[in-house]
Amino acid sequence: MKKYQLNKKQLPSFIDHLKKQGTVFAPHKKGDASYSFAKVVESDSVILEYNRTLNSIKKYFLPPRELLLSYSRKDNSYKKGTIGKEKKIFLGVHSYDMKAVLKLDYNFTEGNPEENYLLRRRNSSFIGVSFIPDEFHFSQSVGMPVHDTDGFDIYLEKNDDGYTVKIITEKGEKLIKEFNGLCDALDISSNHIQFQNKLKYNYNRLPEVFEQSWNAEVWEEVAKRCVGCGTCNLVCPTCYCFDVEDNMDLSLQNGTRDRSWDGCMLNDFAAVAGGENFRKSLADRQRHRIFRKFRYITYITGEPWCVGCGRCTAYCTAGISIVDIVNQLCDEYEQKYLNRPVEQSGLNLEGL
Amino acid sequence: MSIAISDIKTQELYSPDISEIIAIKRFTEKEKWFEIRLPEGRSLGHQPGQFVQVSLFGAGEAPISVTSSPTKEGSFELCVREVGMLTKIFHNLKVGSTIGIRGPYGKGFDVESFKGKDILIIGGGIGIVPLRSLINYVIDNRKDYGRLIILYGAKTPDELLYPDDLKLWDKSNDIEYHITVDQGTPEWKGNTGVITTLIPGLDLDLPNTITAVVGPPIMYKFVLMSLKTKRIPDKNIYLSLERRMKCGVGKCGHCQINHSYICQDGPVYHYPELKHLQEAI
Amino acid sequence: MTTEAKNKPKVAFFDFTSCEGCQLNKLNLENDLLDILEHVDIVEFREAMDDKAEEYDIAFIEGSISTPSCVERIHDIRRRAKMLIALGACATQGGINAMKNLQPIEEVREAVYGDEKYRFPTLPAMPVSAIVKVDYKIDGCPMSMPEFLKVLKSLLAGQEPIKPDSAVCVECKLKENECVFDKGMVCLGPITRGGCDAICPSFGQFCTGCRGLISNPNKNAMLEILTEHGISLDEAKKRILLFNSYDHSQSMPK
Ligand SMILES: Cc1cc2nc3c(=O)[nH]c(=O)nc-3n(C[C@H](O)[C@H](O)[C@H](O)COP(=O)(O)OP(=O)(O)OC[C@H]3O[C@@H](n4cnc5c(N)ncnc54)[C@H](O)[C@@H]3O)c2cc1C
Ligand code: SF4
Ligand code: SF4
Ligand code: SF4
Ligand code: SF4
Ligand code: SF4
Ligand code: FES
Repeated sequence: MKKYQLNKKQLPSFIDHLKKQGTVFAPHKKGDASYSFAKVVESDSVILEYNRTLNSIKKYFLPPRELLLSYSRKDNSYKKGTIGKEKKIFLGVHSYDMKAVLKLDYNFTEGNPEENYLLRRRNSSFIGVSFIPDEFHFSQSVGMPVHDTDGFDIYLEKNDDGYTVKIITEKGEKLIKEFNGLCDALDISSNHIQFQNKLKYNYNRLPEVFEQSWNAEVWEEVAKRCVGCGTCNLVCPTCYCFDVEDNMDLSLQNGTRDRSWDGCMLNDFAAVAGGENFRKSLADRQRHRIFRKFRYITYITGEPWCVGCGRCTAYCTAGISIVDIVNQLCDEYEQKYLNRPVEQSGLNLEGL
Repeated sequence: MSIAISDIKTQELYSPDISEIIAIKRFTEKEKWFEIRLPEGRSLGHQPGQFVQVSLFGAGEAPISVTSSPTKEGSFELCVREVGMLTKIFHNLKVGSTIGIRGPYGKGFDVESFKGKDILIIGGGIGIVPLRSLINYVIDNRKDYGRLIILYGAKTPDELLYPDDLKLWDKSNDIEYHITVDQGTPEWKGNTGVITTLIPGLDLDLPNTITAVVGPPIMYKFVLMSLKTKRIPDKNIYLSLERRMKCGVGKCGHCQINHSYICQDGPVYHYPELKHLQEAI
Repeated sequence: MTTEAKNKPKVAFFDFTSCEGCQLNKLNLENDLLDILEHVDIVEFREAMDDKAEEYDIAFIEGSISTPSCVERIHDIRRRAKMLIALGACATQGGINAMKNLQPIEEVREAVYGDEKYRFPTLPAMPVSAIVKVDYKIDGCPMSMPEFLKVLKSLLAGQEPIKPDSAVCVECKLKENECVFDKGMVCLGPITRGGCDAICPSFGQFCTGCRGLISNPNKNAMLEILTEHGISLDEAKKRILLFNSYDHSQSMPK
């Protein structure tokens, strides 16, 4: 692997160099204390040291709202929505968000490969950046250390003077080729970054826990505190459920068929005509959400479908923590099936 | 897991074929039958038990089972119950109107593997709609199959569908046909009682009988119990599930139960597969 | 319903006890209004009780029902209207007007009418649906313009509009807003019915719940969220009831 040193003050010119090769998307400040991926206009407004962005880069491949078709009711004709073919460069992606894209790749190609997703997804390059895990990140526990470079073309590892630039793929090599000003890599070995937040079991032990978790008590307990707002679904980088709706313009002749993100925590997600709702209670829906991340697709692919980004926890207004839920499942599992004393998992559900 | 994104051939999943309604019949107050012709009279190429996504611009899409047999050429048939917005607009369409069709989707009945077997059909209410595709398929390939036994139940005589087919099944000495309604009327001469009352009296060649059950969610529990009492092995039972659907192609997540997408792995399931899926029945 | 020129559906707007904010809102439609007029005849009536036997295809009702004469009038309108649609929080939920239900009614009359209170008999403020059948509700205070247009279009196209039943948070997340909780505010978005495109949080304001609550709201959990964020339990209940007292004051956890 080739390595270089990029000093802090070279960053804007590096970004300018990237901009010559495609549209660059990178984290920017948003609101008082948040971050969001956006198209880079001013290279010096990019922020590479951030905890997490509100939404992940999923939004570029599966947009929150997307036009599928535009139709005319007069003659029942329609056109597909157009999808740009521009070259996209994503700068400053954390390893868990990259992994989430690889997981979406599976969901959108498995069975029926979806054109909309794939057209958007192609022509993308990814430049990763290291991060300091905060109290919500736990990607290490699901098998993704900070410096996991899977999926990246280039990886930037923070050091005292700037970044160690690691060239991962040929595509990455090309991106950087004509940028002069890179120095030789400093002789520092990458430091292993610790996480404050951890699952009690490593991900490869979780299947045995989830095997026994259908009737766990935690579902009802969490449901008492949950308001069913769907935030945890919508912010998750590996959630991909959507709703489709037809909208008409005022001519009452023409309109669009649009899809938008949906979530299994919402009331009518599994409701059908005639009033039947296959997951009526919040407990059923919580279980579905968590099983979607740790059992259902995992059963088929062998991988957890949660990347440990911590968004569902950081943005839940009720403060419901996915780590606490999983850890409590581990405790219940130990108690019921392994007959071992329970260690405190830190979950405090008293007073509910 | 890394997938070579650029090598994958993409599919236009959401583009319906604009098709024409060529005949309509009203069965009951709530149900109508439609005959549909795809562009250039192309055949739909479905299996009995599969469904299509019907697309009405402005109203959206709905999954509807194909009710005609694949042996029928040049057109296919749907039977639609009016329950809400889209189905209401569908009911107002006339012969000559066009609708969008995507599909066929999902897994239907594996008619190949049923060859040589007796077929027991149990249909409750609108559940008869996909089963009629299977029934007609068996009738059209009669020599490939053993006995054909049809149990059909509806709430009232007014709610019975397919009056012409029912007469045909009744007259045919090649079909054992039993019908019941939950509540009779003074004119009703046939059985009254729920569909499970028809099961105990059947004389079946157990290991050689395939049972296909379709009905409302609540019916399954009771029918499965009766079938158990009758000692029909689970591996001979097939049933079809209904859930909310948006895409029909395994993407939108709405139809999921456990690790299974009903629009992909169903709607028809082999019962042993379902037994271990919590939330299924 | 057809939209042919000679046979345009007749649409009327009626006002009950409200601030008329919704009316103003409707007139702000500007360009869209012209397009609407292509499809409908608007016959606007403020006083319907004259005995003109006018009939309407769609009657839009604003404001809550709060006097015996309102009750008579709404019955009359219902009789003449093929479809009756409640517009704005006052009409759909009793709105802020229904807050007065929480105080003894005499006190309210005293405060509003002073010495003349006996000339103005008043009832607890009620949503239109408490008296007559309402075919559709367009929520919000003021009512949501995009929803109004959407419903009108659906109806004119012969369809039944579908009521959104997910929280304001959903729309907030679709727009990638920073949550106002992270700005130190408290917000009713998590249990409030969406459909307004999270307009308040999008402008950095908290949601006051003006569109009513989603179905099966977990009020206990919402109270917990509010109190965790430094609001007293009493105040938290008041916030939830501001727009929802008619439907929810009975079921509010003690
Ligand atoms: C595999 C399958 C086969 C079906 N076959 C038939 C059939 O042959 N004949 C028939 O009459 N009906 C059939 N249905 C049911 C039919 O799809 C629903 O009745 C229809 O979607 C209701 O739409 P609506 O707009 O009229 O109702 P509304 O209540 O207005 O529906 C609102 C929305 O809810 C969703 N929805 C409601 N019910 C269902 C449902 N059961 N499945 C999926 N989405 C739903 C739709 O997205 C719809 O846009 C089938 C359903 C499935 C899953
Ligand atoms: S974000 Fe929190 S409160 Fe909202 S649905 Fe998810 S777990 Fe429940
Ligand atoms: S489940 Fe939560 S922690 Fe896991 S990937 Fe989704 S948002 Fe991140
Ligand atoms: S809903 Fe709000 S704006 Fe409309 S009339 Fe009532 S108080 Fe006024
Ligand atoms: S600002 Fe309000 S509506 Fe938006 S996410 Fe936060 S709580 Fe939900
Ligand atoms: S955000 Fe809340 S207060 Fe604002 S319009 Fe929407 S529902 Fe009403
Ligand atoms: S209907 Fe969308 S996944 Fe099955």
